[in-house]
Amino acid sequence: MKIAIIVFPGSNCDIDIYEALATVCQANVDYVSSKQTDLTGYDAVMLPGGFSYGDYLRAGAIARFAPVMGAVVKMAQQGRPVFGTCNGFQILTEAGLLPGALKRNDCQQFICKTVPLEVVNNQTLFTSQYEEHERIALPIAHADGSYYADQATLDDLEDHHQVVFRYAAENPNGSLRNIAGITNRRGNVLGMMPHPERAVEALLGNTDGLRLFKSLLENGRVKVED
Amino acid sequence: MKQAMSPEEIKTQKPYLDWSLSEDEYNYISEKLLGRLPNYTETGLFSAMWSEHCSYKKSKPVLRLFPNQSARVLQGPGEGAGVVDIDDGQAVVFKAESHNHPTTVEPYQGAATGVGGILRDIFSMGARPVASLDSLHFGELDNDQTRMKVADTVRGIGDYGNCMGIPTVAGEMTFDPCYQGNVLCNAMSVGLMDQKDIQQGRAAGIGNAVMYVGAKTGRDGIHGATFASADFNDEHATQRSAVQVGDPFMEKLLLEACLEVITKHPDWLVGIQDMGAAGIVSSSAEMAAEGKSGMDLNLDLVPQRETNMSAYEIMLSESQERMLLCVNKGHEADVQKVFDNYGLAAVTIGRITAGHQYVLHHDGQVVCDIPVASLTDDVLEEASAEKKPVRISAAEKAPAWQPQIDDPAAVLRRLLQQSTVADKSSLYQQYDSQVRTNTVVGPGSDAGVIRVRGTHKGLAMTTDGNGRFVYLSPKIGGQIALVEAASNVIAAGAEPLAITDCLNYGDPNDPEIFWELHQSVAGMAEACRVFDTPVISGNVSLYNENNGRAIHPTPMVGMVGLVKNLDHVIPTAVQHPGDQVYLVGKTGADFAGSELQKMITGDISGVLNPLDLDQVHTNLTNLLAQMQVGHVASAHDLSEGGLGVALSETLFKTELGLDLDLRFLPATQLFSETPGRLVVTVPAQHAADFAAALGDGARLVGTVTNSHWLAARLADAELNMNVSELQQLWEEALPCQLKSRD
Repeated sequence: MKIAIIVFPGSNCDIDIYEALATVCQANVDYVSSKQTDLTGYDAVMLPGGFSYGDYLRAGAIARFAPVMGAVVKMAQQGRPVFGTCNGFQILTEAGLLPGALKRNDCQQFICKTVPLEVVNNQTLFTSQYEEHERIALPIAHADGSYYADQATLDDLEDHHQVVFRYAAENPNGSLRNIAGITNRRGNVLGMMPHPERAVEALLGNTDGLRLFKSLLENGRVKVED
Repeated sequence: MKQAMSPEEIKTQKPYLDWSLSEDEYNYISEKLLGRLPNYTETGLFSAMWSEHCSYKKSKPVLRLFPNQSARVLQGPGEGAGVVDIDDGQAVVFKAESHNHPTTVEPYQGAATGVGGILRDIFSMGARPVASLDSLHFGELDNDQTRMKVADTVRGIGDYGNCMGIPTVAGEMTFDPCYQGNVLCNAMSVGLMDQKDIQQGRAAGIGNAVMYVGAKTGRDGIHGATFASADFNDEHATQRSAVQVGDPFMEKLLLEACLEVITKHPDWLVGIQDMGAAGIVSSSAEMAAEGKSGMDLNLDLVPQRETNMSAYEIMLSESQERMLLCVNKGHEADVQKVFDNYGLAAVTIGRITAGHQYVLHHDGQVVCDIPVASLTDDVLEEASAEKKPVRISAAEKAPAWQPQIDDPAAVLRRLLQQSTVADKSSLYQQYDSQVRTNTVVGPGSDAGVIRVRGTHKGLAMTTDGNGRFVYLSPKIGGQIALVEAASNVIAAGAEPLAITDCLNYGDPNDPEIFWELHQSVAGMAEACRVFDTPVISGNVSLYNENNGRAIHPTPMVGMVGLVKNLDHVIPTAVQHPGDQVYLVGKTGADFAGSELQKMITGDISGVLNPLDLDQVHTNLTNLLAQMQVGHVASAHDLSEGGLGVALSETLFKTELGLDLDLRFLPATQLFSETPGRLVVTVPAQHAADFAAALGDGARLVGTVTNSHWLAARLADAELNMNVSELQQLWEEALPCQLKSRD
């Protein structure tokens, strides 16, 4: 299985996902510039955290127009795994690959801390190695992580088990229904504000994110017709 | 563009006095260095390059007291940042810089550009910045203005560092009325590199290109007050100034582009330097001086984002996110291509010339033609008058202040809620402390620790400054600043390597303030020698005054230590019930300048007791050796609030407690601030070895318990306190004090 990590100008968690996959999980991973237009040969694509294009407009609003995004959309349509964390989640919503939007945190501040989460749906290709309703803890580090969608969309997400992670104790950013991560209807596109790639090594004090990458590596090789 | 004044007008009207060039200096430049009157642009360049900020003309005699070599130092002061060998062909690069005045005037941009500037110093050396620290000192949180300054400063540091993707892993924040009108904002950056990639700010090789890369030049940061003065007519109405504004996205691109050229194309590059204070003139003149070269620049080629800028403005602009490169001729287009890939400008603005002249062209005229060294090396050092402050002589004769404490539990509760002591997590959680996934220990401990990826090594780092101690006894206070930093680094299990500093003082023309500077640097230097931690970089910030009142003299020490084995990183919090608790270092009646004295009397007074540096060094060295063989479970440095506060902090966020026999201490000394002390826990099976190794340097004081209580018997009192209650007081104090009362 071969995985592409997209590097936008201003991405800064690209190395974190790379090291989590390549060094910790021994996976086959490449950095791919957002100027590329072709992702042929990759089985999955990762959109890392950071501040793409400085996030001087809405977070992710410029990145969705990057040359590579056409190929990312194509991968999503093919049913291949597409994963975005933090800025990657923001880009996925801006690109329309996931519903809703990420607004400024309700405290109006950037927050970096480890928060408890509930794995709401362990039936996805990203979460199969977690227990249903398992409590884990992952770091968050964002200023714009307050998930918003209209009531109908939120109901729809819940009806189709698209809410994958929920904040399990305090809600750190004002996200509606404590949503921390969602998939698309098909389940192959996951966006989440917490950073599983920061929680894969005991040395750094937390390994709760490791099983997300292991789940992906176990399930991520999807057969598709072009 | 015409020069704003003729050389003769400059001589008679003396505008340079407003630019802080003295008449003696002007005459020396005219008569001795140039043999003619300098023109307007030249006069401006001299005044900037001969400023204290660029030349250290006042502080240099004092700075010479610092040691700056050791077996590990690869690059000492004088370059963008100092470089220290960490084995395996790798090096750590670090420096701290003050941005006090900009942060006082405009906290958000001042703090943000402070971070941006220090990061450029690190990557100009060829290193990738891997961690940031800060040292912040504000007035008391009893007014909305200070609360706003705290909020904006923290937001500025966070927004810049977070966007750059560099974790902020440690720092300090204190509050005292002396910083009310003059905030201290010192930023430190730590970078990692392969030794083979070390760069220099050097321009050499006749015909080689001087290339300008990064953001365009505007009128940011030019001495606004000078040009707003009435001496200037309409023709020069454009000579206004603006606050420096940071663009971290631009800097992120600049970082990646510069590191790509440095690490992948070393044959293209001769030298590289950040355009920091005094912008193009300082970077280009210093690079030419370092390479013993002449330089010829055409200012019309400098990318500009404002129109009709004068040569003076172009040369002195402090627009952010710019670097100057000296590139081997023939590789200009190659460099341009790399920067173009990041969407950045890279423009050849001049060449290295034979000889030693610094020549500037603007608008078809030669606007400057002077020897390079006249800007950089010929600066007149200024002897400064010194005088021991009367307040110190008086304090030496007065009896020492002794606290009366009837209820130590109540005192501990109050101390934990003092702004300087209270939990800072509501502020530092606005900093991304984990990005790049190397952070082993983040903010909130004695020192931050990051791992060196691909190795079993780590780096511990801390910033420490205590203006109260230095104000009362400058020399001992200087020693304590270094001891405090060393204690913090060793508490994490690291061997101190070297330090950087920011020397924050008032007006050095006041003999008492210069005496404080001299004495405190002497104290720091002495302690640096004892700990073999040379000063490898740093800066001096003078004139920190407001309404004629100086800040406390506040030298900040930024120290980096090497963790040889990441298995032996030592946490702050206690770990296992049954572990033995030791107090390292002797406790005395050290209340002058303590948090306790400030809390009870509202002010500080007295003089500090002398410090036995050799004893402290021996204790800490023995402790580190015990850590490195795995005998220590936790360690916490004692600082503001003394033993009482430190013991409480070792229990926070655990479910454990302490049962202590402190009958050798009167209750007052639970809060004394004798330097060089740590509270350490040791698993029972290692206790005998530990005790033997530390000897008189440590005293067994109790055990870690399973109950969440802090229990201690003192000579004249007993404590039994619920840790959850203490933690709540400590955690809630600062968020409450930061809320506006209006």
